[in-house]
Amino acid sequence: MKIDHSQPLEYSTHQNQLNILGFWIFLGAEIMLFGTLFMGYFTLEGRTGAGPTPAQIFEITPVLIETFVLLTSSFTIGLGIHAMRLGRKNAMLSFFAITLLLGLVFLGVEIYEFMHYYHVGATYQTSAFTAALLTTLGTHGAHVTLGLFWGLFIILQVKKRGLTPQTANKSFIFSLYWHFLDVVWIFIFSFIYLKGMM
Amino acid sequence: MEFFERFAIPHPSPAIYASMVAIALVTIGIIAGLTYFKKWGYLWREWLTTVDHKKIGIMYLISALLMLFRGGVDAIMMRAQLSVPDAELLDAQHYNEIFTTHGVVMIIFMAMPFIFAFMNLLVPLQIGARDVAFPRLNALSFWLFFAGAMLFNISFVIGGSPDAGWTSYFPLAGNDFSQHVGTNYYMIAIQISGIGSLMTGINMCTTILKMRAPGMTLMKMPMFTWSAFIANLIIVFAFPVLTVALLMGTTDRLFATNFFTSDNGGMDMLWANFFWIWGHPEVYILILPAFGLYSEIIPTFSRRNLYGYKPMVWSMVLISFLSFLVWTHHFFTMGQGALTNSIFSITTMAIAVPTGVKIFNWLFTMYKGKIRFTVPMLYSVAFIPLFTVGGVTGVMLAMSAADYQYHNTMFLVAHFHNTIIPGVVFAMLAGLTYYWPKFFGFMLNEKIGKWAFWSLTIGFVLAFFPMYITGLDGQARRMYTYSEATGFGPLNMVSFIGAAIMAIGFVLILWNVFYSFKNSSREIGSDPWDARSLEWATHTPIPEYNFARLPHVNSSEAFWDAKMNGHQLFRGEYEEIHMPSSSGVPFIMGMIFFVAGFSFVFSLWIPAVIALLGIFFCMALRSFEKDDGYHISVEEIKETERKLGGAK
Amino acid sequence: MKELFPAKQVMGFVASLVLTLIALLVVFTDMSYTAGMTILLVTAFIQATLQLVVFMHAGETEDGWAIYSNILFGIVIVVLSVLGTLLILLWDM
Ligand code: HEM
Ligand SMILES: [Cu+2]
Repeated sequence: MKIDHSQPLEYSTHQNQLNILGFWIFLGAEIMLFGTLFMGYFTLEGRTGAGPTPAQIFEITPVLIETFVLLTSSFTIGLGIHAMRLGRKNAMLSFFAITLLLGLVFLGVEIYEFMHYYHVGATYQTSAFTAALLTTLGTHGAHVTLGLFWGLFIILQVKKRGLTPQTANKSFIFSLYWHFLDVVWIFIFSFIYLKGMM
Repeated sequence: MEFFERFAIPHPSPAIYASMVAIALVTIGIIAGLTYFKKWGYLWREWLTTVDHKKIGIMYLISALLMLFRGGVDAIMMRAQLSVPDAELLDAQHYNEIFTTHGVVMIIFMAMPFIFAFMNLLVPLQIGARDVAFPRLNALSFWLFFAGAMLFNISFVIGGSPDAGWTSYFPLAGNDFSQHVGTNYYMIAIQISGIGSLMTGINMCTTILKMRAPGMTLMKMPMFTWSAFIANLIIVFAFPVLTVALLMGTTDRLFATNFFTSDNGGMDMLWANFFWIWGHPEVYILILPAFGLYSEIIPTFSRRNLYGYKPMVWSMVLISFLSFLVWTHHFFTMGQGALTNSIFSITTMAIAVPTGVKIFNWLFTMYKGKIRFTVPMLYSVAFIPLFTVGGVTGVMLAMSAADYQYHNTMFLVAHFHNTIIPGVVFAMLAGLTYYWPKFFGFMLNEKIGKWAFWSLTIGFVLAFFPMYITGLDGQARRMYTYSEATGFGPLNMVSFIGAAIMAIGFVLILWNVFYSFKNSSREIGSDPWDARSLEWATHTPIPEYNFARLPHVNSSEAFWDAKMNGHQLFRGEYEEIHMPSSSGVPFIMGMIFFVAGFSFVFSLWIPAVIALLGIFFCMALRSFEKDDGYHISVEEIKETERKLGGAK
Repeated sequence: MKELFPAKQVMGFVASLVLTLIALLVVFTDMSYTAGMTILLVTAFIQATLQLVVFMHAGETEDGWAIYSNILFGIVIVVLSVLGTLLILLWDM
């Protein structure tokens, strides 16, 4: 394996560069995936049948908590990558751990939010609106959940194997994924919640 | 007992029982054969665990051919049923199931693997690479496709086939009107293979962007690689739409949600909308690689370089964008206003322009060329006028006001078969014949090949041109019969005869493979057609590492330059070669996906959850795995090159 | 020492907080639907760009052009598909 020392560790082999570019192309597909969910949501948000409307079920407090938690986690993982590029393994691991903890908080609040919807009679089966809402949120939430496991695996690997071209590459790609989930959340926050409460 | 009843066929017939027996016997036969000849180890080591793009390509090819025959049998049954008025060969339910599976099998499980076969076989060779960017992922893509295809194909013996058309429109595809599990198969089998296609899209785009040989700029790539790049780009952005639509359709059917239902706010039209946002780009995903193959074949047999390389590239780039902007033309009659229909009429007609540009480029390539009418060239030459008819009738359909007359008649059926058969299928058969010697070491017999070509072309014209007429006269598609008074009888009989002639053509192609395997010479060298691009610069058979030294490229026809103008492709010393190692995980994951899919189809939640956990387990395993591949030493390379007849 | 301090990240974070607060205005003040949607569109797209450029380093290597074109292609297609879908199913139905 040829290692190019003029590049940051995560770009230092050809395979690493392939992985990063490939992941960006994957993110292009993810844009389309969430875009489609939004198409569905916008089309169906007014079609509430006998169920509640968006304004009736949305609550600002949990949404605000989720938003600030996720924004902060996107910041901390950015710090993690910064630390990684400086070769500070322990700082990086701490930032990654904080990120995952914030992710866990986000997920907790989201689960609370889902239970709230259930109690006010907005279940998966209630109407086209609730189905579109819960599928969009759920797809994002499932991504976060997967990210928690993935991030954990990466922390374990960095701990055990140190910062090698491989582990640095995986960590960097994970950070791309996490930032992307934040971008998606910004759109959910703006065009599902705020628009719905406007 | 109740538990087992759900696996029964809701609407059995002797033909289905016969297929059950046949499937059981063939399975037993294969297992017995493998055991008797002690081939299990060979199968596992050389095929099931391979990550070599060439072998994966061959597996796609075999699967595509198998599915071509499965879909072809469906087609013959439909044409037989319609050959005379008031026929009773099939009843309405069987007819519905057959046109549904025919469409799905042909598009998703025949045409898609066929183009993936050529992408896998050719792209790394054409760009001078040793494999794709993510070989392991590539194997997983194949096994997901395979799992999806198998899942879809067992539907007609376990639980019943889908019967709501390949477009599976709601509310017909919902629980109210499609009660048995058939449509679950549709949703889940296509989902699984769709995920595989998406991964191939990402893989190929990365490969083409980052793994080209030294000197090969984007504008020096062979045209097939360009077409593959654009097709995969479209895949990356089109398939997620299908993923979401299928997910919603699945939850509607399994968890009683209301996306596409008729009450609680559900909107059936949203399905049609999603389906075609994916569906129209999908037809370009199929046709672009076909264009790419013609662009390789026509210059070779005209002994001229491709006319207008740049316009060819730009027209494809434009198509990749426009193909996402025309989807409404599939449902002009759905009820949206004239403004919307007009916008999409115009975009649809616009997309015919870059397509037309390409036709002229091929014509100018042949103009004043020294044309050799070999079998691949015959297909290419027949393609041009026949495909033009398909394009012109497409533009007729694109006029939204006129489409109220044509929509969902046999005219539409004629249009899309007219684009897909001379466009996609002929290209695949031409490519098969053209590349056969490179991958299998012998040529297919030209004489039998020509017989097959003529059967297919004449059969095609007889089978589909009459549909334009009956369609304009009002024969609706997807009707299982018609009365004598309609007067559709004679032309439908002509169609049946055409279909039968096409069937003969396909059988001739199979026969050709057997015949040539037995009789053809193995002394054909590595460049039997006197071809032009880089894939022909390899040895035949191609060593696992493709190129002992990576080629240096100066034009899109580097191999031709090397032969004619003394360009030196291979320079420098041999170096150790790094290769990816084989793995059984993709195959195992494919099988787990199959189990998961089957469990979802029948709402068997416990196995479904176990299978999903299995999938996550495989992914976790992959995360922790250290996989550095292996190295081929310089001595080994020298030895292999010597055996293959001279260093390259 | 200068290298150690992640100035870029901190600025990005502050900017995203500010943009979020601006977006919140649409709920906590009285404004027309058009004004509200305009604010949301502007803040959301700026924030997304911020994440891409500041946090995700989209343009930092020689593949930057491919990454940007890919993302841009995706965004354009998504926006057009959303508009088309709404046109077909809501505005012009
Ligand atoms: C010149 C370019 C083309 C134009 C203007 C065009 C136009 C159209 C239009 C307007 C329809 C919908 C008609 C209706 O439902 O009433 C249609 C259907 C269709 N076209 Fe084309 N088309 C073109 C090329 C192609 C190509 C290259 C392919 C495939 C490789 C293709 C495959 C199909 C299929 C599969 C359908 C309909 C399927 C269904 O409803 O089941 N078309 N085309
Ligand atoms: Cu179309």
